[in-house]
Amino acid sequence: MTTLRYLGKRLLLSIPVVWLGTSITWFIIFMGPVDPAARLLSEGQIRNPAAYEAAQTQLGLDQPPLQHYFDWMWNLVTFDLGQTWLLYQGSNVNALILDFLPRTLWLGFWSVLIAVFIGVPLGFYAGMRSNTAADYLASMGGIVWRAMPNFWLGIMLLALLGSSASIFLGWDWQSWLIPLDAVSGSPDMSRLHTVDGFLAATKKVLPAALVLGSASMGNEMRIGRTAVLEVRNEDYIDLAKAKGVSDRALVWKHILRNALVPLVPIITSEAFLLIGGSVLVETVFGINGIGLLFYQAAIQGDLPLVGTLMYVFILMIVGINLLQDVLYTIIDPRVGMEGA
Amino acid sequence: MAGAHESQPADAADGPGERTDGSAQTTESTVIPTESPTLVWLALGAGLFALEAGALVHFIVSILGDGLAAASLPGTGFVAGLQTATAEIPTLLSRETIPNGGYWTGSRWVGTFMGFRPDVAWAIRAALIYGYAFAVGGWAILGYRLYRREYRVADWTPRDDVIDRFRSHGWGIFGLVVVWMFVVMAVFAPALGPTTVDKNMRNSYANEMSYWDTEGESVETILVGDANLASQSRGDSDDRVLPMQYDDFGRFHPFGTLPTGRDLFTFIAVGSRISLVIGLLSVGLSAGLAASLALIGAYYKGRVDLGMVLISDAIMAMPQLLLLIMLTTVLADTWVGGLYSGGFLLALIFAFTDWTYMWRSLRGPALQVAERQWIDAAESFGQRPRTIMRKHMLPYVTGYLLIYGSMTLGGAIIAIAGLSFLGLGVAPPTPEWGRAINLGQDYVTTGSWHISLLPGVLITLVVTGFNALGDGIRDAIDPRSDSANEGAAGRGGGA
Repeated sequence: MTTLRYLGKRLLLSIPVVWLGTSITWFIIFMGPVDPAARLLSEGQIRNPAAYEAAQTQLGLDQPPLQHYFDWMWNLVTFDLGQTWLLYQGSNVNALILDFLPRTLWLGFWSVLIAVFIGVPLGFYAGMRSNTAADYLASMGGIVWRAMPNFWLGIMLLALLGSSASIFLGWDWQSWLIPLDAVSGSPDMSRLHTVDGFLAATKKVLPAALVLGSASMGNEMRIGRTAVLEVRNEDYIDLAKAKGVSDRALVWKHILRNALVPLVPIITSEAFLLIGGSVLVETVFGINGIGLLFYQAAIQGDLPLVGTLMYVFILMIVGINLLQDVLYTIIDPRVGMEGA
Repeated sequence: MAGAHESQPADAADGPGERTDGSAQTTESTVIPTESPTLVWLALGAGLFALEAGALVHFIVSILGDGLAAASLPGTGFVAGLQTATAEIPTLLSRETIPNGGYWTGSRWVGTFMGFRPDVAWAIRAALIYGYAFAVGGWAILGYRLYRREYRVADWTPRDDVIDRFRSHGWGIFGLVVVWMFVVMAVFAPALGPTTVDKNMRNSYANEMSYWDTEGESVETILVGDANLASQSRGDSDDRVLPMQYDDFGRFHPFGTLPTGRDLFTFIAVGSRISLVIGLLSVGLSAGLAASLALIGAYYKGRVDLGMVLISDAIMAMPQLLLLIMLTTVLADTWVGGLYSGGFLLALIFAFTDWTYMWRSLRGPALQVAERQWIDAAESFGQRPRTIMRKHMLPYVTGYLLIYGSMTLGGAIIAIAGLSFLGLGVAPPTPEWGRAINLGQDYVTTGSWHISLLPGVLITLVVTGFNALGDGIRDAIDPRSDSANEGAAGRGGGA
């Protein structure tokens, strides 16, 4: 019961967060120094008062600010996101997001998976063999891996894979196992349900996911290592040893399982990095995701679209935070019992 | 304690056999073995200062001149005269004293330092700069130890333990050295590069240079801009200049050239300056904001704290990098956006977005301090809330500020580079590391591999250094703390 109340409280608290974030976005875009209507028009059109007024009316900027604010917020809440102005001119924003979002989600899904399935085992391995050469190598690798800028790592990886045939003695990434049309680019999301399509889309997004997950991987490794080291020094491990629990059961049941607990919030909080980093990674790898859409809208001056996309990002992050709370209460029931 | 002090690495000036166990009964110093250690220390400082006095005075006068010119106050002409006069003061570490730009006459080098080859002359200057910087660092450490032994009343303070722990933390020392080298690169950027931004980039067509024409076997003159055009690093072309090579005009390029033919090392050295300035400014601002908000929230608790949680959650719900992109595009054309090539605006935006992460990490410690009994005591004593926060709470969170400040600075460097990689933030003629990566992006697999690779390796090194420094400080302040709660710090919002 308390768990449910705790989750309810978190859900209630997330409403003002979304509202505040969206309001800040509205203020920056519509009350900022740039006139969104003027940014939408080309040089010639700005001097044409009729075109300018038409753009203002369309954006609702001829209304008083407060009226415009409520209209805009209501449109977002009801997901009536309107049409685009510059980018993919005149298309429905809902349709555009639905078209672009799956690629970003696919990328994010694999980057979380790669980070978890490489970072956590490596960290556990380093923690079990602490202060050996293998531990130092793994720890050092994690630290450097974490400090590398994503966009640079992406460029280097693309260069490596693009000319893999000449570097790795004939092993060519592009034609290896599943042939791809190009090393980088958008994954084909329409054939996911077939085995071939699934594998092709996965392979296409894999290098980008590795880069995007690099920061989280280093982090998870570090924290996994510390967690194992801490659990190993707990009294119950000594007790289990004294009771004669086999080494195998000791490691798998008592050490690793308990070391997983501090990792859960880390994995979900890395979502901040994944969503932020998606802009750069999608730009480098040429993936038509919502991060790239955001960047193009910002560069080309489609500010209303920027605001709408920011709202989508805010919803995603708040949603992930809620998911983290749910996961946490399942794994560690003590959470929320102390009136947190 | 005294035994531990004897094995300090900074004991270079400590003569063997003259140690006195630090019991302070003799007049002789254990730090500098003379009768009057302070005088020796001051003399050393004066000597180090004299070497660079000209540069420092010139720097101060030019800032003054810029300020006067901006405010259009009288006296601009006088200051301008002073500026040219101070530029004449000889300084050891300048390209005028140790020039590396010269030309070959067929038999010898003209115009370089003592007739050395340009690369040797440049290496001498770079080595001297770093030698000087480490001498200044050593001098500062010496001064601190002198103060600790000779002048401080207390024999021991808790801070001594923190510093001793840091000194035995190899990883932290590594971070400190890397950070120090980066700072020196930023401070001495104009003297460190083989050429200057003005001569090589901004006004390359207003500057002439002489070179040895191998075909005509004679010394010719050429505009720097034209020379750049013939030393472009594009793909596998014959003109490309790789690291540690000379171009066809007798110019030495430690890191090779850019696709525009400009010198990459000069670009990176000056770029490090803008990264550091933006980073320091933004971290300073956000640390101030985070500390004051954390203290206020911890002191008043309840609704004030809840309101801050909501605001910081709302700002954190907007992905940092996307918020940066949105704000830089919206604010780019305002007057703030023009200050320091857009760097000032970037620093403000960083401060606005970064304080939340720092505040998160400070909130816990601040809440803990607020529960202590001495806070109650101070309250019943009638002290004002502001005094209590400043005097009785702030000292306990400053350590955490240092830790997260160091890591956030590394993250800021990555994020600034990421933004200029996208073509946002620092405006184009001003060098920035991310732009070098962008320029070389198409040539990574070709013969001009160095343009993207070297700046990226440097960013990785510098960010690792800042993270290591943060680790070292954390272990020194609180040896039992774990690294589990750093989260997004030091990652620049995923760039």
